[in-house]
Amino acid sequence: MHELGILDAMIHTIEDVVREEGAEEVERIVLDVGELSGVVPRYLEECWPAARYKTSMEETELEVCVVPGIVKCRDCGRIFNAMEYDMRCPKCEGQQMEILSGNDLMIKEILCK
Amino acid sequence: MEAFRTIEVKRSIFDNNDRQAEQLRRELKEKRVFLLNLMSSPGSGKTTTLQRTIEALKEELKIGIMEADIDSDVDARTIENMGVKVIQLHTGGMCHLDADMTRQGLDAMGTGSVDLAVLENVGNLVCPAEFDTGAVKNAMILSVPEGDDKPLKYPLMFSVCDVVLINKIDVMPYFDFDLEKCRENIRLRNPEAKVIPISAKTGEGVDAWADWLRTEVNTWREAR
Repeated sequence: MHELGILDAMIHTIEDVVREEGAEEVERIVLDVGELSGVVPRYLEECWPAARYKTSMEETELEVCVVPGIVKCRDCGRIFNAMEYDMRCPKCEGQQMEILSGNDLMIKEILCK
Repeated sequence: MEAFRTIEVKRSIFDNNDRQAEQLRRELKEKRVFLLNLMSSPGSGKTTTLQRTIEALKEELKIGIMEADIDSDVDARTIENMGVKVIQLHTGGMCHLDADMTRQGLDAMGTGSVDLAVLENVGNLVCPAEFDTGAVKNAMILSVPEGDDKPLKYPLMFSVCDVVLINKIDVMPYFDFDLEKCRENIRLRNPEAKVIPISAKTGEGVDAWADWLRTEVNTWREAR
């Protein structure tokens, strides 16, 4: 359900872009999905046929690119991949970190007619 | 052959919803209506907390309640018996409310004579955190039986909240719930969040919560 609601929100945002750009049909959508965004890329892809049903994007393909979750330890400053080290600093075991990348759900680009 | 072109969008997926939410907030400001978005897990005591809140504030503020559920109107009927304006919103299976659904709810309820509108969001700690409803403030309820480590499991929810009510403190002796640890876990996710322990059942702490809400409502309605 979570992914379906997100795709529904995405369709509305893309419809805005299509209107602003005077495009006609959207062939393909490329998303940047952060590893720390709480969204599972595979579920987005699996939900897409249901989400686009009876919308202006019934023929549109969806491509999902994963953006790694890179964080900086607030205690010792070490920069590391949060998923790889299970949200814990590999150097000092700190659990407070600043997210440098991988927190967002972005529409990267669309291919239009 | 038809020409294809690539448009670099670089916009958040939620851009459309975020804009609608901003627009709704501007309109609420014009109308001097304060909208509170109340979120929590199912069973944390949202409706009971609302009843207490209504009792505490209904003499001084005109209150309107929007109950969002996937189905049923059990909560709306409970609130209706308290003599405030209430409407039931069905999300049609969606696990959250977005700004557009919130606007429809406000239109259906009518904001003409309302100072404080409360949106009781769907019981869920994931989806509602992603969608700005256009509310002036976000509140969430965390109940003692859910555990003091909940802020670590649902970081986004805690990071979007202005206030966290820790409910059911009357049963704290029966659970391994460490209030100070819970405060610390909330602070790790959101240093700005105000934390208010309450028991909607016994009424403990409800005054502190009502004071917070009253101040926020008055500040919003007075500021130009």
